[in-house]
Amino acid sequence: MIRFDDVTKVYPGSKHPALNSISLEVSKGEFVFMVGASGSGKSTFLRLALREEKATKGVVRVSGKDVAKLSTWKVPHLRRTIGAVFQDFRLLPNKTVFENVAFALQVIGKPRHAIAHTVPEVLELVGLAGKEQRFPHELSGGEQQRVAIARAFVNRPAILLADEPTGNLDPNTSVGIMRLLDRINKTGTTIVMATHDHEIVNQMRKRVIELEHGNMLRDEVAGVYGYSR
Amino acid sequence: MRFQFIVDEILIGLRRNIAMAISVVLVTVVSLFLVGLGFLAQRQVDTMKDYWYDRVQVSIFLCGDGSTAAGCADGKATEAQKEQIQADLAAPQLAAYVDKVYFETQDEAFKHFKEQFKDSALSENVTVDQMPESYRVDLKNPEQYQVVAELFTDKPGVETVESQNEVLDRLFALLNQLKLGAWMLAAVTLICSVLLVATTIRLTAFTRRRETGIMRLVGASNFFIQLPFILESMIAAAVGAGLASVALVGVTKFQIQDRLAQSLTFTNYVGVGDALMVVPWLFVIGLGIAGVSAFLALQRYLKV
Repeated sequence: MIRFDDVTKVYPGSKHPALNSISLEVSKGEFVFMVGASGSGKSTFLRLALREEKATKGVVRVSGKDVAKLSTWKVPHLRRTIGAVFQDFRLLPNKTVFENVAFALQVIGKPRHAIAHTVPEVLELVGLAGKEQRFPHELSGGEQQRVAIARAFVNRPAILLADEPTGNLDPNTSVGIMRLLDRINKTGTTIVMATHDHEIVNQMRKRVIELEHGNMLRDEVAGVYGYSR
Repeated sequence: MRFQFIVDEILIGLRRNIAMAISVVLVTVVSLFLVGLGFLAQRQVDTMKDYWYDRVQVSIFLCGDGSTAAGCADGKATEAQKEQIQADLAAPQLAAYVDKVYFETQDEAFKHFKEQFKDSALSENVTVDQMPESYRVDLKNPEQYQVVAELFTDKPGVETVESQNEVLDRLFALLNQLKLGAWMLAAVTLICSVLLVATTIRLTAFTRRRETGIMRLVGASNFFIQLPFILESMIAAAVGAGLASVALVGVTKFQIQDRLAQSLTFTNYVGVGDALMVVPWLFVIGLGIAGVSAFLALQRYLKV
């Protein structure tokens, strides 16, 4: 699904690479944690997969395609196959829950009847049935993140990238979000989640890739956050 | 859905940036109005050429009794000199220029003079003898009057060669200056409107960075993200072009046709029809400039 071959990313004006010859492969339907301290390269990994950035060296493949070779006008089509969720939710404050999720379909030109049909379905899936007309500021942090997940998933992407989705949430709420992500993963969606939440990683027992200063420290099946920490 | 959605986005954008939208409209009005004035000045020159060139003649005045010009050393033009001039006018090398030739006798000249100055004391005091004889030459191309003028000036029996073209040329030069001036001012204000559109886009892109960020993330096409921005500035430009057109037609109707044409009747003037013909161009120029500068600004301020 996602494959990195000897990928290095150096941001302009920076001496140290944010990612340093990383090679790894994430298969279809996998659930992968990327762990590591801030600045270890987790977010860069996700940005490269979304082609928000281009690799300085090496090849990034998503669904078998070399993303560096995509022409600019095809990049949106790549992004339609990838859902993305962030720590800060990134909802539109002046739109309701329904409108926030519908927005993702409107801007890719989905017809109105399809939107009317799909949005309630996905809101039901994330556990927000009945809250369609609420505004983001009327919701708790956990609920807001559910809206963001609904928006990322409404187009049924093959891959869901989550950048510290529980970073702003308390532990109980985080557990709920993890259950939701797990459920989405069970529908066959590949999930890559960057986090530094020890407990979550230790509980879930999924594949763990640890980064430090852009280097890959380990890649373990059913791993934990770290022995030494 | 798509169409409705884009319309909504544009309305939101225009409402948020109402002050900027108004300034884009105003600058566009001024610059397009000046462009229009330039076009009208051009039309005025053309109109006057059409009007006058049908009427202008080259007049070859012959020597009279008291003439002092170089060609009049022999006193009043003799029959031989007249025949020579007539023959020259009919010569094959002038056939390309000369259309028709009339001879105006002293009697005819006296009659014309009396008509022209019938309300003035002058007409009481002239006599037939004081009137010059002349050849009146209609030209095929009135703009080439110089050829005839040069050929006959200072010829024996010719006192002077005159043409209204000399006056007209000065008038046309003046109108051309007006046109150039209007277009130079228009160029300056058009540059202003380009920069203003770019600044507006930059601000709008900033205030909407949240929306556009999400749009990019969920895979909206570049065209779809940029379209509301481009349409917004084009709508502002269209409103500006509309107002400029109203102003231009208004000026033609009320200032030129209703006032100038009534008070200075020596020629005819551009009319509302001419102004209406300029209107589409104002829209083309206004929309084109807004669209192109919006597009270029987006390349810079809205990374995809």
